[in-house]
Amino acid sequence: MAANEDALMWVEKYRPKCLDEVIGLKDIVESLKAFMKKSKTMPHLLLAGVPGTGKTTIALAIAHELYGSNWKNFTLELNASDERGIDTVRDRIKDFSRYSRSGFGDIPFALIILDECDQMTGPAQTALRRIMEIGSRTSRFILICNQSSKIIEPIQSRCAIFRFSRVDRQAMKDHLQYIAKNENVTLQPEAAEQIVDYSEGDLRHAINALQTASAYREGVVDEKTVSMVIGEASPMQVQKMIRKALYGDFMEARKTMYDIMGNFGFSGSEIIRQVQREIFKMSDLTPEQRADLSGLIGEYDYRLTQGANSDIQLSALLSQFAKFGKNIEETYAAK
Amino acid sequence: MLRNDLLWVEKYRPKKIIDIMGNEDAKASFIEWLQNKRHNKKAVLLYGPPGVGKTALVNAAAKEYNFTIIEMNASDTRSEKAVNAVAKPATSYMALDNFSDTIKTKGNMLFLDEVDGIAGNEDRGGVSAIIKIIEESLVPVIMAANDPDVSKLRPLKKVCLLIRFQQVRIPLIIALLQKISSLEGVNAEFEALERIAQNSRGDVRSAINDLQSLSEHDHALTLQDTLMLSSRNKDIGMDETLREFFSAKSVGEASRLLRYSSIDYDNFLLSVSDNLPRRYTDPVELAQAYDSVSQADMFRGRIGTENWHLLKYFFNELTKAAAVNPESYKPFEFISPPIRIITLFWTKGKRSMLDGICLKIGSRCHVSKQTAKLDFVPFVKEILKRKKSINLIEWFKFTPEEADFLIKMSRF
Repeated sequence: MAANEDALMWVEKYRPKCLDEVIGLKDIVESLKAFMKKSKTMPHLLLAGVPGTGKTTIALAIAHELYGSNWKNFTLELNASDERGIDTVRDRIKDFSRYSRSGFGDIPFALIILDECDQMTGPAQTALRRIMEIGSRTSRFILICNQSSKIIEPIQSRCAIFRFSRVDRQAMKDHLQYIAKNENVTLQPEAAEQIVDYSEGDLRHAINALQTASAYREGVVDEKTVSMVIGEASPMQVQKMIRKALYGDFMEARKTMYDIMGNFGFSGSEIIRQVQREIFKMSDLTPEQRADLSGLIGEYDYRLTQGANSDIQLSALLSQFAKFGKNIEETYAAK
Repeated sequence: MLRNDLLWVEKYRPKKIIDIMGNEDAKASFIEWLQNKRHNKKAVLLYGPPGVGKTALVNAAAKEYNFTIIEMNASDTRSEKAVNAVAKPATSYMALDNFSDTIKTKGNMLFLDEVDGIAGNEDRGGVSAIIKIIEESLVPVIMAANDPDVSKLRPLKKVCLLIRFQQVRIPLIIALLQKISSLEGVNAEFEALERIAQNSRGDVRSAINDLQSLSEHDHALTLQDTLMLSSRNKDIGMDETLREFFSAKSVGEASRLLRYSSIDYDNFLLSVSDNLPRRYTDPVELAQAYDSVSQADMFRGRIGTENWHLLKYFFNELTKAAAVNPESYKPFEFISPPIRIITLFWTKGKRSMLDGICLKIGSRCHVSKQTAKLDFVPFVKEILKRKKSINLIEWFKFTPEEADFLIKMSRF
């Protein structure tokens, strides 16, 4: 595999450059290669799937296949969640199609990769649909999203849709070992197992964890270093917030929540997503208690989408946690 | 005392149509109507939130197209009799001066401002009188309203051309505030103007008023000064209202209180949320009260900028939070100013530093800022901490400050 030698983050260094190098996505790669054979008639693509499963990699590999090392001149990469609205997206696409003109060599179009499309609102997607129609003479779109159900029907019907599932455990382990070998690091099998467990099918997460672990100790990654990395990378503040609320210290829990929002700029829905994940890792709760809490989280996740102030909705959720914690306490006391 | 007798809102009132910011479509359709289309529809209803330029447009247009404005607004009573007394003579003749070159007026235009303010009883027959005037009028009739959905106005909407005004966009307001600051010799921080503009919710008039009141002392305006903005507004009855709200003996009492109060309900909602845990120390009561506040916030979300008829449900839910358990009330000291504003103020530098770091990671590793923050920052930080790799810092193009910030940053 040709490594991207200049890159210092391993996720970039070992990102495959062409479709043949992509691991574990045989079916998708085969059908894409069929499209590539008649690249002039390549349709717009919609790549959907959970994070770290190769969507961006595939999109960039397609760019490489089409335009070779010159790909950056003919490819516009945009991230819907970073752009300030559909108007800036439209402007950037307009500017790009003006300068990139008609594409490269045999390829009569330029490529526009738009990541995190499911973050766009309905009206913005409708506008995007118009942009796609206007631009389709000179450009092909590769849209990337986590959930294709959040993409409006008219866009879906204009694209060939590919669904990505979590990366296979064995393929992931093999790939981690391959990277470790290239980097002259001994990755112990148990440690590899642990990274794969932790990353839940997200290859980007796994490679980042491996690289971080290798920075702890020269040449060897073992279970101990992996545990340390996982500990460091877990959301400590969110855990603290949940604990304080369940133990009845609502004021402190709410203060922690404002700290998380203030210091790191996390949105309400991002915090709620992390709370949900952390609840399921809390081994001192019974499965029933976790399910009950999860129900509460779901309710407030919904209210967050309706409400005007996410900090108020999160505070209300924390007050529910405090009430829940008091109930647990009383049940224990009764026993 | 003001340095100048003129309020800045008066001094910088737009004199020409082109000076009015934003709402380009609305402006264009109004001019189009005034020049060509008013023979099809004799009246026009301009509607939208306050302070976005409805009245300013009418005044500027009258000047540019040489009309004389006959105005009635909510401060005048608008019963049938009153409407007829003023409006009838104004609309029943065309300008005779067309024949003379010295006076170039095209005649009168009748301007009824704040028509949604026509009250039920005192203004009896007001709406039907207006409709009659419109039908018989020989001159253009212009009306302005904040909320066109008031049921009384429904008959009016049938005979008018409706033109919608929207909130003026924040960047436009910031630009205007910058211009005024420099004309008035005020040395203003950009962040401060930004906050005034955001606080105004697209209301240019209130933004200019705030700018003047905050900077009239010393020609200088800092972000710190604008913090006073919300607490100053808050002083007007906020603490008093909160105290009566939290000590209410019943939902009915709290409801009466809010109905007669004129406090800003967005600030009030935040203050109630801030102070709720001081009012209810029992977790069960607190959870119940917060549930109501959360419901109220959902209604606030649904109201957005136009569904104001939902406001009563917002208040209904909020009042439930006041009387979860009236017996448990003990006087307490209020948390002020709002926690959110204080937190966000002190952490602004940190957030923008982190934002810049995430943008750089994102452009290197093909991810969004949000993904960079979650999936890269914790790892990159650890790698840098363990091996202070200059190469990695250079590869990401981090500045020394950014690298330092990342290494010392506390965990999520």
